[in-house]
Amino acid sequence: MPDDQTARDREITVSRLIAAGRPAVFRAFTEARHLDRWWGPNGFSNTTHSFEFRAGGSWSFTMHGPDGTDYPNHIEWLAVEPPERIELRHGEKPNDPDAFVSTVLFEEAEGGTRVTLRTVFPTREQRDRAVADFHAIEGGQQTLDSLAAYVAAEISEEERS
Amino acid sequence: MPPTATTTDAFTAIAEPQRRRILTLLKTSEMPVNDIAHVLGIRQPSVSKHLGVLKQVGLVYSRPHGKQRIYGLDATALRAVHEWTGGFAQFWQESFERLERYAQQLEDEENPNA
Repeated sequence: MPDDQTARDREITVSRLIAAGRPAVFRAFTEARHLDRWWGPNGFSNTTHSFEFRAGGSWSFTMHGPDGTDYPNHIEWLAVEPPERIELRHGEKPNDPDAFVSTVLFEEAEGGTRVTLRTVFPTREQRDRAVADFHAIEGGQQTLDSLAAYVAAEISEEERS
Repeated sequence: MPPTATTTDAFTAIAEPQRRRILTLLKTSEMPVNDIAHVLGIRQPSVSKHLGVLKQVGLVYSRPHGKQRIYGLDATALRAVHEWTGGFAQFWQESFERLERYAQQLEDEENPNA
């Protein structure tokens, strides 16, 4: 199996064109009072316990799910390069062996800023575990029926366009 | 294009739009190849090829039924795809949507007259 295939098995990349200027998008990462307002899926809120935004610094916070579940989070900032790049290690607690490293790129683009988060997990198993954990955060536990509905929605979306 | 050459897992299998149409159809009920071809308006040899790929990666099963074979959706193989897209990626897609609204708000606060 070629290397790129193996890497693809271990990585997840999410990208979005954000209709705002790069300085503002980057700034939304730089202070806890900003991050608390947008970090996490719809319906989530955050409480920051400590925050230091510099390479080697960390952000300790609790994510509150819409159903009242609390999720401990600990992020170490590995690289902070305004306004174009942030590298972070994301876990539940300091020195979490299951923490994984993500790189966030901020690129000026037509219509705003392209933000790309790329996460490469050390192993495929670790990726699968993180995916399953985040799936649980999303209120997952979806039945195969709703899975099929998801695929169907994707397809009708495609047929409309 | 030989559909089997590059297909190794459910992810690459469902990258092909016709295969997703077939899966959606099979979600409603099991069907023989002829019916799938007829309902979707795809030629039967092409449907057979797609079914071969989908079966290879475990997205459909087949069972004998009289003189023909009946195909059905095996959603367990889709679970990996769903957890992938529905879990971590979804977390970040929704976070980025919220980031967009927040960054716009930051800009408005900076330039109240803009």
